[in-house]
Amino acid sequence: MIKFIAKRILQLILILFAASVLIFCMVRITPSDPVSSMTKGRRISEETREALEKQYYLDRSLPEQYIIWITNALHGDLGDSFEHRQSVNSLIAGRLPTTIQLVIMSAILALVIAIPVGIISAVKMNSVIDRLLSVFTLIFVASPVFLTAIILMLVFALHLQLFPSFGSGSNWVENLRYLFLPSLALGMNMVALISRITRSNMIEQLNSNYATTALAKGIPYWKVVMKHCLKNALIPVITVASIQIGSMIVGAVLVENVFALGGLGDVLIDGVKSADYPVVQGITLMMIVVFLLINLIVDIAYAAIDPRIRLE
Amino acid sequence: MMKFAGIFWHKPLFQRKKQEGVLFTVPMVISIAILALLILCCIFAPIVSPYSPTEQSMSETLALPSARHLLGTDRVGRDLLTRLFYGGRTTLLNALGVVALSVVIGVPLGLVSGYYGGIVDTVIGRICDVVLSFPSLLLAFVLVAGLGRGMISAVIALGIVYVPMLTRLVRSLTLVEKNKTYVEAATSIGYSDTRIMFVHILPNCISTISVQITLDLAYAILDLASLSFLGLGVQPPTADWGAMLDEGRNYLLQNPFLALAPGIAIIVTVVSLNIFSDGLHQYFEPIQRKLPSFKQVERRKKKKAAA
Repeated sequence: MIKFIAKRILQLILILFAASVLIFCMVRITPSDPVSSMTKGRRISEETREALEKQYYLDRSLPEQYIIWITNALHGDLGDSFEHRQSVNSLIAGRLPTTIQLVIMSAILALVIAIPVGIISAVKMNSVIDRLLSVFTLIFVASPVFLTAIILMLVFALHLQLFPSFGSGSNWVENLRYLFLPSLALGMNMVALISRITRSNMIEQLNSNYATTALAKGIPYWKVVMKHCLKNALIPVITVASIQIGSMIVGAVLVENVFALGGLGDVLIDGVKSADYPVVQGITLMMIVVFLLINLIVDIAYAAIDPRIRLE
Repeated sequence: MMKFAGIFWHKPLFQRKKQEGVLFTVPMVISIAILALLILCCIFAPIVSPYSPTEQSMSETLALPSARHLLGTDRVGRDLLTRLFYGGRTTLLNALGVVALSVVIGVPLGLVSGYYGGIVDTVIGRICDVVLSFPSLLLAFVLVAGLGRGMISAVIALGIVYVPMLTRLVRSLTLVEKNKTYVEAATSIGYSDTRIMFVHILPNCISTISVQITLDLAYAILDLASLSFLGLGVQPPTADWGAMLDEGRNYLLQNPFLALAPGIAIIVTVVSLNIFSDGLHQYFEPIQRKLPSFKQVERRKKKKAAA
């Protein structure tokens, strides 16, 4: 087990290294002049220019710049933003809680909705309910996150006025109300995916021999479904859900934009628009780390449950 | 990625004798009809609609749907339906561009990596691993930051992001194909590796690749819309479904159609593409086809005997 974990961590470090090189190179794929974007095109003296270049290490060669960036990042310092004249760390710190709360809330909401939907459509396989649910899930997969967000906003915030239509609260308890619609919008995509997987796994489990045995022993049908089959069907669901969280972090960017939540996404998009390298690099690197760590934890947990995986 | 194989039950439109796989099943025909209608409307937009997509009329701003403007007008009085058609042109063309780019890069890489194996395969495989460790839109953001925002950058960025999935698919197909006798025969005749890869192996993989391409097209439409919505893709005054949604969301109370119409257009297109791809999958893979049940075969035999 320890060998397995060590191997996975080594892999993670290698991929992270490659990903950081990739991020660094892709941001600089076309030659541009960061100093002019910092000064917003104003004319500056040669000395100021040199000072700015020195401050942001722009006078060094690219490999040197990369080494400086990555060593600082390893020490927890993501550099200074060109645009905001502020450290990327402080830019992130203020906005991270909202984004994290949004992603967690939508993951919970999605699971709470999706698993019962999956169970119902598996139990009532090929019935009218099952087909209706299938069509709904197909529509939600095809609907971009921001469209779901806009429709929810239109119905529940603007017409029914049950929830605030934009902004966020001052603390996380207050945020529960502000973030409900955004997290529902973000979760709907995941609902579609998870309910499909729950359905197909449940069908497989319901047709298995142990389920038949349990029924033959006289255990009530619903108990077999909920206690025996569900437990076995849920393991793959959790894996897919954890991988989905990665794409939810990106989806959060879109939802934050619609509801003006002032999360991490807004900073990232502003950074992308103004070619603010440190901000884009920093936030992307952080998102990748979170994404890969979640995958690692799931892999290890999986290996702990199922010994066969360790041997692979 | 998820497939919706099996949601729709693929009943053949025309029943012919002794036929197992049918391409034109009911859902397939419906989805093809919708897609064809959409494409025709987009191509012949100037003929279908009497308005121009950029013509402004300040007397009719934010009008609700009426006989003159079927879906109403936007902030500066442009006809929404007309803009929807012209927007469809941009969106569909860009999505095609994304997929074409990923095919041009991804398919040869997959063929080479599967056919030669060894160090080439390892290098390509590792690069794919790294690219796949990013959520797809996140990588597109990084690329757009590097390329500068705009329609072309968005297409290039997504085109590159879609490469590894395709490469992996083609690689796994090539691995199966290259051990078959026909490849051995072609080698023994003395054909070059390039010829074997592109003329012999590739045509045998086309069916599976085309299923993946139609699915990718659907995802490309969604991702392009996301980029345009955030202001990273298509720039005004060009119309594009994502950008139109972005513009329309500011007028949700005045004319909700400004945001809903492009949104519904996206959903309809993506759902049709999904069903189309599902149908192709079922047609190309005999295991997926719905064969007549034992009862049906018996009944047919009886009918034959009676006749």
